[in-house]
Amino acid sequence: MADKGGIEVEGTVLECLRNATFKVELPNGHQVLAHISGKIRKNYIKILPYDRVLVELSPYDLSRGRILFRYRN
Amino acid sequence: METFTSGEPAVVITRVAQRHWHALEDDRVAGRAEASTRPDGRVFLSIDAWHRSVFDQLADAMLADLTGPLHTIVDEADAELVAGWERAGFTTRRREWEYFVPTDTGTVLPPPGATIVPRGSASEGPLRELDRVIRAEVEAAVGWQEMPAEVLPHPPGDTVVDSALHAAAAEGDSYVGLVRVVQVTRLPRIGLIAVRADRRRRGIARALLAEVLGSLHAAGIPTASAEVNEANPAATALFESVGARRASSNLELVRHG
Repeated sequence: MADKGGIEVEGTVLECLRNATFKVELPNGHQVLAHISGKIRKNYIKILPYDRVLVELSPYDLSRGRILFRYRN
Repeated sequence: METFTSGEPAVVITRVAQRHWHALEDDRVAGRAEASTRPDGRVFLSIDAWHRSVFDQLADAMLADLTGPLHTIVDEADAELVAGWERAGFTTRRREWEYFVPTDTGTVLPPPGATIVPRGSASEGPLRELDRVIRAEVEAAVGWQEMPAEVLPHPPGDTVVDSALHAAAAEGDSYVGLVRVVQVTRLPRIGLIAVRADRRRRGIARALLAEVLGSLHAAGIPTASAEVNEANPAATALFESVGARRASSNLELVRHG
């Protein structure tokens, strides 16, 4: 069974934008615009600036991503 | 930013497990969908897709495989995602506001005869008893479907409460109200505030809320969060009376099978 999604990388949330989007900075300094995953949404997990998160980068557009996980402080 | 990337990749939808579906473009997972059952028995769906067409195909596949009422949660600000679920036949069942609650609200005294027991000091026995009473009242009244997602029904006979998370309002040897605060990140969450039905409208909830907010403020935390059902005017009035402001809203959508 194939299970190859986008690249997963840790990042830090810089800003909560409109349209349920977040600006996330990656360790290499790049910034991506990310939505939250359905699982995070279903579990009412709040994403705030400075949160450390795991982001799946879109294989179709590396400037976009999806927040899969929020790390504890 | 738009939710979906333009383009329509050719994908094959595969049910990879009982409750999981993948959209595969060659050997790449172009989208995922999941169904999960909450303790109250309701089935909630989620879809992660980069493209609108993939979202629609995953939704179609899930709806073909699942029966009965199906639910999902969306951020109301994500218009494209809301539209996607509406294309799949979902309609709004309720709206839940997320409030940011300032913690510098000052002291509020409880009504005569009541005292506030701070977080970490509540006795487990009376807290368990109150938890049982409140859960029974919820089930007999509005039901769990109107309660915030984390306030889930427990298995029969199982009442688990953590006194470290709860402040309580006491009258004599009994507790008549409680508030639960959970702090996983910098933003503590007021997960539940409840008063026994026969003790309401006396200011107990306001005093409980002021107590936990005051303790957070003393710890240097300026803001807490809370989710409130739009259809609960008493709760919205309570939070807005302490200066809480609406930050965002979630929609619970449902599709009747």
